[in-house]
Amino acid sequence: MVAAIINLEKRKINFLKLKNLILLTLVNYLLLFESAYCNERGKMLSHVAGCYGCHTLNNKIPFSGGYEIKTKYGTFISPNITFDQTNGIGKWNIEDFSKAIKLGINPNGKPYYPVLPYKWYSNLNKKDIEDIYDYLKSLSTSPIKQKPHNLKFPYNIRNLLWIRRIIEEKIFPTKRIKIEEKIEMEGAYIVNTVAHCGACHSPRTFLSIIDDINDLSGYHRSSNKLNDGAPNISNNYKKGIGSWDSYDLVFFLKNGFKPNGDYVEGHMSLIIENGTSFLSENELKSVSKYLLSEYNN
Amino acid sequence: MLKIITILLLTIFFICGNAFSQDTENIIKYRKNIMKALGNHISIIASNLKGKVEINSDILPHSKALFITLAAIDINKTFPEGTSNSSGLNTKSLPNIWQEKKTFEESMSNSTQKAKDLVTAAESNDKKAIGKALGALGKTCGSCHNKFREKKN
Repeated sequence: MVAAIINLEKRKINFLKLKNLILLTLVNYLLLFESAYCNERGKMLSHVAGCYGCHTLNNKIPFSGGYEIKTKYGTFISPNITFDQTNGIGKWNIEDFSKAIKLGINPNGKPYYPVLPYKWYSNLNKKDIEDIYDYLKSLSTSPIKQKPHNLKFPYNIRNLLWIRRIIEEKIFPTKRIKIEEKIEMEGAYIVNTVAHCGACHSPRTFLSIIDDINDLSGYHRSSNKLNDGAPNISNNYKKGIGSWDSYDLVFFLKNGFKPNGDYVEGHMSLIIENGTSFLSENELKSVSKYLLSEYNN
Repeated sequence: MLKIITILLLTIFFICGNAFSQDTENIIKYRKNIMKALGNHISIIASNLKGKVEINSDILPHSKALFITLAAIDINKTFPEGTSNSSGLNTKSLPNIWQEKKTFEESMSNSTQKAKDLVTAAESNDKKAIGKALGALGKTCGSCHNKFREKKN
């Protein structure tokens, strides 16, 4: 009898051990899955948000900067955003990173030029910022030190940006439209926050400030020498993309072909290759649902 | 007498000039039609890939037509000298087509190769492979347009 009880107790203990082992394995598996998911999402976000596109000159050393953006104010040269301790962002913690991309302020308290689209990123959610940060941190570092921007006077005086910021905040504050529908809301988050489409497709006013980030009616090139123009992508049938349907938009943002079979031209070909083609089918459908909705008139 | 000769010469110049401009206009319209034809083949293939229509049996013939049309382009005859946008003509062809003719020819040859790959993919009936091959062809179209075609905006 006693032996039988002892045997039963042993069995119980073994069962509990097995149960704990299964639970532990499950938790580990979930954590691994979570981290892989974070990395995958971080990778997708870093591409769609243009971190890769703007901070990569040579795709063998991604995120090490050196990409040039020519504007009427001069040439901006993107910095190294790998986690190199000296020439990259290796010393930044998540708060520094978040402040840089959401507010456009570096860890020393200096303002970034608006070529960093912090106006759009200001709406990025905490989890997405952490995913981008973790993804960048997981990559190999590069020791490359990039040259400073080559800007005309007086735009090369960084502190003058504070004046521009005051004008922007007081006269042209960023307004976000309220969206009730779930899919359109997801699409708007990608268009007006992550992918910052308006950085190229919105009209600009004084000091190149964008009055309304929700207005995607295009920007006419500032001069014949610069290819900085971008077409109207509002839901206007004649002037915008109102004649396109969801199939057309999803295919375009994935493959670059317009409905008439012509291939996308200029910078947008790189935006698709390095950015929007990383979006899933469902995310692309949300983007097209938003772009073709009444919110984008 | 001098007046008659002058009028005669002017008339000859006018007729020749007019004939020349008509020739260039015709060739520009002609090559635009070739590009439109290529675009139409792509559009037909893409409509099936997008799921707008389900006439998948059209993918292979239009891939073949795309390849044959691209391979058949006679660059010297279709892009003769003096037909760039710098001549004030109704075209987006940039002068560097003729200034960097070798690069232009290589770009066309790249696109032709990718169109051939599209035919191979279309023969497999695998839509994923077809989409990939069409995307690769698109990149060659895009790189050629970026270098040699005037931007719209």
